[in-house]
Amino acid sequence: MFIPFFYELRALGIPIPPTAFLRLQKALNLGMVNSMEDFYIAARAIMIKSEKYFDLYDRMFAHYFEGVEFKNPSDEELEEAIRSMLLEWLKNPKELIDILGLDPEQFKKYTAEELIKYLLERLKEQNERHDGGSRWIGTGGTSPVGHSGYHPGGMRVGGSGGGGMAIKVAMERRWKEYAYDGPIDSSQMAEALKRLRHLTPTGPMDELNIDETIYQTVRNGGEIDIIYDRRLKDKLKVILMMDNGGWSMDPYIEVCRTLFMYANSNFKDLKTYYFHNCVYDRVYADPPRQTKPMKTIDFSRFDPETRLIIVGDGSMAPYELGADDGNIEYGEYQSRSGHWWLQFLARTFPHAAWLNPKTKDYWEITAGAYTISKIMEIFPMFDLTLEGLDSAVKHLVKKQ
Amino acid sequence: MMKDVKNLKEFEGTESYVLDPELRKIVNITIALEMPLLLKGEPGTGKTLLAHAIAQDLGLSLIVLNVKSNMKAVESLYQYDTLTRLNDARFGDSKRNVKNIEEYIRMGKIGQAFVSDAKVVLLIDEIDKADTDFQDDLLDVLDQMSFDIMEIDKTIKAKHRPIVIITSNAKKDLSDPFLGRCNFHHIAFPNQEMMHSIVAAHFPEIEKNVANAVINTFYSLRKVPNVEKKPSTRELINWIRALNNDPKFKASQLGKDGNVPYLGVLFKKSADLEQAKAYINH
Repeated sequence: MFIPFFYELRALGIPIPPTAFLRLQKALNLGMVNSMEDFYIAARAIMIKSEKYFDLYDRMFAHYFEGVEFKNPSDEELEEAIRSMLLEWLKNPKELIDILGLDPEQFKKYTAEELIKYLLERLKEQNERHDGGSRWIGTGGTSPVGHSGYHPGGMRVGGSGGGGMAIKVAMERRWKEYAYDGPIDSSQMAEALKRLRHLTPTGPMDELNIDETIYQTVRNGGEIDIIYDRRLKDKLKVILMMDNGGWSMDPYIEVCRTLFMYANSNFKDLKTYYFHNCVYDRVYADPPRQTKPMKTIDFSRFDPETRLIIVGDGSMAPYELGADDGNIEYGEYQSRSGHWWLQFLARTFPHAAWLNPKTKDYWEITAGAYTISKIMEIFPMFDLTLEGLDSAVKHLVKKQ
Repeated sequence: MMKDVKNLKEFEGTESYVLDPELRKIVNITIALEMPLLLKGEPGTGKTLLAHAIAQDLGLSLIVLNVKSNMKAVESLYQYDTLTRLNDARFGDSKRNVKNIEEYIRMGKIGQAFVSDAKVVLLIDEIDKADTDFQDDLLDVLDQMSFDIMEIDKTIKAKHRPIVIITSNAKKDLSDPFLGRCNFHHIAFPNQEMMHSIVAAHFPEIEKNVANAVINTFYSLRKVPNVEKKPSTRELINWIRALNNDPKFKASQLGKDGNVPYLGVLFKKSADLEQAKAYINH
């Protein structure tokens, strides 16, 4: 009965560890699950490892068990489940041995077929196990009284009695607000950016390594041996370029401001520039883009190890990116396209990433889909969610 | 090992810890399965308190490992006290045998939990603070319930499998292998009804109208935008304590005309406090 439920949850893309299936069986066996509510709670605690998926679990649970008769799995179902998950379980034999309480030596001697047979027997075991008292499920009429919720034909879920409560609880959808990643908040941003700092030993060897000194001294039998290290320094240089013009960026002002705040407090060597829609021959160091222009071509003099982070929604009219006179700002005219300048930046700074405040799901359907796809050919693009920022940071620290 | 789980009574909560029945079930299943329980949820939802309540209710001692950002897994297992050994080697005025390294091995928190003669509750608090290496190393130790002391080539095996509670504040998920080995629960921030029971557990004498006024104001203050750390249950309890000690405090006046005394108890970061003040006077 719950085997298909398990599959359905996995099919929905919920990352359920394959061994969770065995653990759930074990919980049932230990007599810890005596009602539908117990099953609802136990299955969630064992299978679902992030509150993000709690709501999906609730909906699936209500949908699946509403008015359904709870039956134990048939031998065929069990065998199929074992066969389909065996390979996954065997990826981590230690865990499998641990859950089953197997003897590792005996385990090694099994062939695949023997192992399947063994598992099947364990899962429908009728007799008492070594620790006494408890049974694997599938015991039908001989189950201890506590298992009454699972007797074949014993209880109709969704009718009167315990089962209906679980459905009701599941239908309350208490976890709805946790289901979506939502806009990233300041503490998450700080957490993600922290990882971009990378300290490298440079400078003179003048930092006393106390642990190593003590260790070496003791190894020397007490003759003091003083160990020095090179000083650690954050050498990371970061350039942050933000699109702060145009109504299309308006909804993201808050998130960009937070990003800027945290970038500022996290990186010692941070330079921030602003542009409108696309980078052309000039960017500005002042947010209103009036007083402190900087020629884009001058970036070629910067340290190529500098990490370049561009923040923008990448949504513009195709000519703004492609045409030589694409800049829509009045009085600005140049002879190269935004596309060319972006390529120039990508060549200058091999460690670069484009952060898009629009979430990934929209990139292909938004009005700016065409320009976004063009920019993605030049820069790896990440969305400004926690996961996106995390991947961007991983990409930026990578040695190339 | 199975035996000592059997001998434990079920966890039922304690007087001062208001326990959600769902969480109680999860704790009991976790204890029966002998798996660690990973608890997530925003700060102040009682994740740490739960471990205290389990220990108290089951009559076990509690060992707390407070994870720090630069912590290495080995520190939580044992430490080789080289400094004392050096001192003994140089000045030789202790009873310890300098040649015997074992006399200079001190157990860390996890080590203590393993060598304890009775079953204990082991709380690994705020595991998200350390890096993923720490988490992975710890995972192996908790899986095997044993670790090696390299310096003296000795294996420490848990005499009794501790009940392991792990907490994390991070919204980011831990690594998949780690999650696979733990049972998981997310403690949601209590709703107003639940908060009334929590407040009543801390302040049995509180008057109904005071509790109402304070809790309503508290929940509206949690809606202040752009705050880095929202006030949690802990701050609410401290705030009520502060208000109780103020003879001038009148519940009926709370929240009227921007009258929210001791706002700093609720918002501890100065930037957050400014935001809250602006919100109230708005």
